[in-house]
Amino acid sequence: MREYFTAYLMIAPATILIFTFGIFPVGFALYVSMHKWRIKQGDFKGLLNYARAIDNLIYVLLFALAIGALASVYLLLRRIVKRVQEGEGGAWQLVFPGALFAGTAIAFLRWTVLLLPEVLDIGNKIWGIEKTRELFNQLLGDAFRTPQAYAGWWLFAGMALASIVVAALWGRFFRAGQNLEQLSDFTIAWLVLALGLGLAWFTYHEVVSAYQAAFEEGSDPGIWPQIITIGSGVILLVAGWKVWQSAARQDSNWAFAGRLLGALGLLVGAWLLIGELPIVMASGDKDLWKGLKVTIFYSLGTVPFQLSFSLALAILLFQKFWGSDFFRIMFFLPYVTPTVASAAVFRQLFSNRYQAPLNQLLLALNLEPQQWIREPQGIFTMLGETLGFAVPDWAAGPSMALVVIMIYSIWTYVGYDTVIYLAGLGNISTELIEAAEIDGAGKWEVFRHIIFPLLSPTTYFLSLIAIIGTFKAFGHIWVMRQQEAIGTVDTFSVMVFTEFFEKLRYGYASALAFVLFAIILSLMYINNKVQGSKVFYG
Amino acid sequence: MDNVQISQLALWGRVQRWLQKGFTYFTLLFGLFIAITPFIWMILTSFMSLGEAQGIRWIPSSLHFENYAIAWQRAEFSNFFLNSVKIAAITLTGQLTVSVLAAYAFARIKFPGRDLIFGIMLSTMMIPAMVLIIPNFLTVTWIGRIGPIPWINNWPALTIPFMGSVFSVFLLRQFFAQVPDELFDAARMDGAGHLRFLWKVVMPLAKAPLMVIVVFSFIGSWNALAWPLLVTNNDDWRPIAVGLYTFIDEAGQELNLMMAGAFITIIPILIIYFFTQKQFTESIARSGLKG
Repeated sequence: MREYFTAYLMIAPATILIFTFGIFPVGFALYVSMHKWRIKQGDFKGLLNYARAIDNLIYVLLFALAIGALASVYLLLRRIVKRVQEGEGGAWQLVFPGALFAGTAIAFLRWTVLLLPEVLDIGNKIWGIEKTRELFNQLLGDAFRTPQAYAGWWLFAGMALASIVVAALWGRFFRAGQNLEQLSDFTIAWLVLALGLGLAWFTYHEVVSAYQAAFEEGSDPGIWPQIITIGSGVILLVAGWKVWQSAARQDSNWAFAGRLLGALGLLVGAWLLIGELPIVMASGDKDLWKGLKVTIFYSLGTVPFQLSFSLALAILLFQKFWGSDFFRIMFFLPYVTPTVASAAVFRQLFSNRYQAPLNQLLLALNLEPQQWIREPQGIFTMLGETLGFAVPDWAAGPSMALVVIMIYSIWTYVGYDTVIYLAGLGNISTELIEAAEIDGAGKWEVFRHIIFPLLSPTTYFLSLIAIIGTFKAFGHIWVMRQQEAIGTVDTFSVMVFTEFFEKLRYGYASALAFVLFAIILSLMYINNKVQGSKVFYG
Repeated sequence: MDNVQISQLALWGRVQRWLQKGFTYFTLLFGLFIAITPFIWMILTSFMSLGEAQGIRWIPSSLHFENYAIAWQRAEFSNFFLNSVKIAAITLTGQLTVSVLAAYAFARIKFPGRDLIFGIMLSTMMIPAMVLIIPNFLTVTWIGRIGPIPWINNWPALTIPFMGSVFSVFLLRQFFAQVPDELFDAARMDGAGHLRFLWKVVMPLAKAPLMVIVVFSFIGSWNALAWPLLVTNNDDWRPIAVGLYTFIDEAGQELNLMMAGAFITIIPILIIYFFTQKQFTESIARSGLKG
């Protein structure tokens, strides 16, 4: 017992800090994103901030999330049923304590949400007057006793008490152990169920109020048709893919028919999505899609180059020779250099003055000096102009200013990636390579069939870090962005930051940040699915 | 005849090896050229007179050391330097204390909910900073208003949020978990409790990871830009990155001063890097962290 106490005491500071500045903010940001919030808290706006960013897509996404939650409850219940059937302990009566625990958790959440605005308001009340401990305690007490928060507190306290009693009784009369798993499964099932239903209800409510607002204005938001079209598009895609896959595993006429059906589902689903998605997107925030486009360009223009350069360098450096350590140290230098300083240097190297080094290089090669970081035009458009044909708008490509930022980014991260690749190379056993060489494999074959596959976990890790990094990229872009090219270099993070720091729209910026978070999560999921299946662990 | 052929083959082999080596060195030198040219240009420009810096020359005709003094004065670097050192020191002290304690408990004591709490902590690493920055700003403002000392424009806002570092806890926990149990049993026989064992036995063994945390955390506070921009609006506590950022804008066309300023901020990091580069790259290779 004392041992437990020591342990909790030891992790307390870290847990409190990480909770306050790492976990609680996620919920808080969600709360802020649903309000009109410009420096001070304003009215509750529900999903309107999101609707402004991605238009009706938010309703579609939330319904999808609710359906996903309900589906996972179903899967969880199936697991529980299977476990009971196999006689591995677990009784159905645990469903009640599970419900109680889940209810307690939800009651706690509800209470914090009710209390939060009152507690936040203390800061404003106390601002400017002399602070005393008594005053603060009194204000805190007042906040606590506001009718809503008070009712919420009693509900939570009652349920918590009941939970403790039930837990104590249960621990007394039943053997813990295997039942514990059953209990936690039930608790999670109830929680997710409540979450899914709550989400579905909330989204429905929001859709209805959006319709009402539109009705008063005399317009038609057309949310339901869009939800149905996009939803069925996704379902058809998934179903089509599943049918295609399962048909491939059987060999008969049925397989042929199944494949046909699957292909049909895929086609129709894809067509529905292609028809509807751009329309929805176009009515959202233009800046958001621009920011997303810039971010995608940025990651496409950095990650592959960064990884292939560093792989080549790592393979060359891996042969120990005179001076290899020196090269390694120097390649790593850009990575440790303070971002503001190195970005300032790049800003001058790629300056638009004709005396700037890069423009001098162009002049020496008999080419025209460029605007570099002040050039908002797409590089393909510019390339087209010099070669003498017109490039359509959609193929303009990243702006030249963004290309300079990409070059900076590659320059910075190649050293880091090289070091990690070197570590990965160090883990490959030399015996394998030697055996292959004895069998007469050339250098390229050894690389292609042994080194590269064995390095795939490293590549996977690095690409994940790099993709997430592009969405986090901030400092160097902040330093290098110039007035002339401002819309064409702002990646997602920069956009969120300007919305918050310059335009002071806290609520909207939070909503954007959540869109960013959702994108990162789904990228990680996709990366995991696609690349993860190809990763080969020795 | 055979001998001639063999010696020809041997010669061909040697030529091939030389070619390979030449290719390797050539590629690496080219990489080196790209990696360090910006640094060289920065240093050379920082020694030029204003006219030269705006021209096309690479080599300064005479060395203007006074650029550094002017940049130092104009940007008030002494203030920003001191701020950054103070911020780094406070952050480090707090972070080391907090993470050593937590990492020890996670690694060596079994308590209910341990894996759950640790798992939740680890999962926070993938939350993008931009999601956290707005609510944290609100929280910090709020605490500053109700608490005894203001947080905005003061050290707490710049340091306390960074004291609970998941990365440090994770790194130390991995290391502490490798300390053999026999050591602990022996210490317990001698009547030492957890804290004593941690202080006397584990800490001296953990010099390498502690060093890594010190270096990372220092570089982190040295580079921080977005958060300090938010929570400071005067120069009282602004760190060096913000100082350089504003100086770059103010210096405008005075490239020589700008580059001198940039180089000044790089120097401390360079010194730390060259002294610890071995542990540095090794620890990155091992943990692969710090995106």
